[in-house]
Amino acid sequence: MAPYLGNLSLWLSLFFAISQFFVSKKNKKSKFITISVIGLLISSLISFFLLMYSHVVSDFSVLNVFQNSHTTKPLLYKVSGTWGNHEGSMLLWILVLTIFNYFIFKLYNEKNSIFISKTLETQAFITAGFILFTVLTSNPFEIISPTQADGLGFNPILQDPALAIHPPLLYIGYVGFSAVFSISIATLALENNEKIPWHSYMKPFVVAAWTFLTIGIAFGAVWAYYELGWGGWWFWDPVENASFMPWLLGTALLHSLITVEKKKSLQSWVLLLSILAFLLSVVGTFLVRSGILTSVHTFALDPSRGIYILAFTAILGGYSLILFGLKSKKYLNNSYFSFFSKEGSILINNILMVVVCSSVFLGTIYPLLVEAFTNNKISVGEPYYNSTVVPIMIPAILIMGIGPILSWGKGDKSKTFKKIFPSVLLTAIITLFIFLFYQSYSLIGIVGIVLAFWIISNNVIILFQKRENLSNGMIVAHLGIGLLILGITGSSVWQEEKIIQMKVNNETNIKEYNIIFKEINEIKGPNYFALQGNFFVYDKNKNIITKLQPENRFYPVTNNFTTEVSIHTNLLRDLYMVLGEGNLNDGWIVRIYYNPLVIWIWIGALTIFLGGLISMNSNLKKLQRLS
Amino acid sequence: MRKQLLILPSIFFLLILLIFFYLLIIDRNPSELPSTLLNKNVPKFETESLLKEKKFVSSDVFGKEIKLVNFFATWCKPCRDEHNYIKRFSNQEGIEVIGINYKDNSQKAIGWLKELGNPYSNIAVDKNGRIAIDWGVYGIPETFIVNSKGIIKYRHVGPVTKKIYKKINLIINEIE
Repeated sequence: MAPYLGNLSLWLSLFFAISQFFVSKKNKKSKFITISVIGLLISSLISFFLLMYSHVVSDFSVLNVFQNSHTTKPLLYKVSGTWGNHEGSMLLWILVLTIFNYFIFKLYNEKNSIFISKTLETQAFITAGFILFTVLTSNPFEIISPTQADGLGFNPILQDPALAIHPPLLYIGYVGFSAVFSISIATLALENNEKIPWHSYMKPFVVAAWTFLTIGIAFGAVWAYYELGWGGWWFWDPVENASFMPWLLGTALLHSLITVEKKKSLQSWVLLLSILAFLLSVVGTFLVRSGILTSVHTFALDPSRGIYILAFTAILGGYSLILFGLKSKKYLNNSYFSFFSKEGSILINNILMVVVCSSVFLGTIYPLLVEAFTNNKISVGEPYYNSTVVPIMIPAILIMGIGPILSWGKGDKSKTFKKIFPSVLLTAIITLFIFLFYQSYSLIGIVGIVLAFWIISNNVIILFQKRENLSNGMIVAHLGIGLLILGITGSSVWQEEKIIQMKVNNETNIKEYNIIFKEINEIKGPNYFALQGNFFVYDKNKNIITKLQPENRFYPVTNNFTTEVSIHTNLLRDLYMVLGEGNLNDGWIVRIYYNPLVIWIWIGALTIFLGGLISMNSNLKKLQRLS
Repeated sequence: MRKQLLILPSIFFLLILLIFFYLLIIDRNPSELPSTLLNKNVPKFETESLLKEKKFVSSDVFGKEIKLVNFFATWCKPCRDEHNYIKRFSNQEGIEVIGINYKDNSQKAIGWLKELGNPYSNIAVDKNGRIAIDWGVYGIPETFIVNSKGIIKYRHVGPVTKKIYKKINLIINEIE
């Protein structure tokens, strides 16, 4: 019963989306718009929760449940299994779209009805496009007959708490940019005489999209770190790049919007960025789900999906960019910037972000371009990204330290220097102290540490000075970036790896730690069996620090082996241990990583998220005051 | 002049879409990936051998004659599909097929080979997928051609089909 209702509800939401598209062309708030928007929200909620219900009760008459679930799977993963596959994830995507659609609808007031109607029209078009895609090529409610006794199981590598919430957070990010896109289209379509402060409408959505994209990407990294067992947390995979590119443009957008707000300059640039940010999200989806690129994360492939998404992208992109080409003239102005000013620093930030984004884009599609023109196959990997992205990021971060304290218009250089003097001093002292203490020199390590403390000390000082004109959200988010850089530098420059074969009672050393292999046990989990190693970790003074218990799991349903890493974390380092294969006679292959400062990556990301939430709140309040 | 520039993004976008479209419609196989190890020595590794008492030591196995290296597992459906082609290779003179049993249950693998026949002259056990990482394996099945000097000459991702079977034979003849 549930799958039929779900399917019906999905078709209903397609109907509501199409009706919203046509009704909003009337350019005013009407009963029909209200019905469409609320109908769309409720019908997509129903179909989403009916799919979730089918997963939770293990209804194996549904193909999607049969292919991705199993009765023995823990409840949490039955729930998250709803969006842990291509079809279900599209349903989640649609749900988030309709929620944003509803928020836009709530912004209606007497003055802005044309503007909001135009926004809702575009939003309805996008939503209808995605629903159509889902029902035509990836319907999650397809029935399998006869009903199967049990499911094929869920890839155990996806059974991880971080991965359970990673997609919803990420989708809020991606889809948030759809609202930004629609607002940008509405702005371009406005007639000259309407004085709508479009940037104030756009800002909360940009902040929301960016904030959730940040935390979504961070949870993806957490998953890679804890679950993949490769000792790292970022691999420059096409799917990771697909989320990183909109993030970079979102970062640029977030900053240039402030310039629009204060100086009314960069308006056409902001409109272009907001179109591109969403288009890149859709192109990313296309790359990942069409099978045109192969990636570790690749979803089930089907060429017809590729054609559909490409056609949809062509319509969205073609329409919006041509509209931009024709209509954005009125938002051009010729004001020139002083380099040494807040708007100057924001402009440089924007240029650098766009350059990084272009480099990542080039790296991602370069193999495709080469193949299209020469028929050769090449692959682009980590070395390319490290040598392009890192050098561009360095000046961006340097400027990020002083940008907030520069003044608008032409700034006083000597005054600014006085302002930054304390943080320059603080950075120098901390860096010197760290390197004297650890005696471990590497150029890129020094650069990273200097940049991290440059950002941290600047923002801590601003925080204590309590400057009225700077937003708390910004300071907290910038502080988070500083902590993030600290973690990234530590874990990538000073990581140590040891691969060794160990028998029970053998011991080994990594850095200042002594590790003894005590015993190995067979244990049984809810849907797996495991071999669990027991390792005691001692410090120099023979005090026990921790017990590490890495596992080698076997999931009988999907017939998969996975390794479960064991990690001991403190503020300075992670001890990261993976149990490889082996037997009692020859011992086991064990991989041990000493990963410095990893926890600061997670703390940094959470701090940025917090800053984003604060800023979201204050921007929403500003918008409320406006209406 | 500046106003005309505003149309540039749409032109650029159109070009990229055209390339994507071209790639979607041409007969291409995204699974035919070049290996970063192409023309390099096989990665060194040591592990258990599935059927032999002796350890599997890569430096003892590679470097004498042409070897076909096939990553497989019992849980992988396409591996079953390609098995007949792998057997045909092993019946050809001058080719030895080395299996790498990827993230699998050894008992099951032995049963699987008894059922379908064993084309492999030696099988390395890669229980946690570490060897596969060193070889840059994306997903199984994957097949590599290693020449008599122990250098990787070709990589195929995905099951061996009739077309690929012929192609691999051609490459092997070239190398010889």
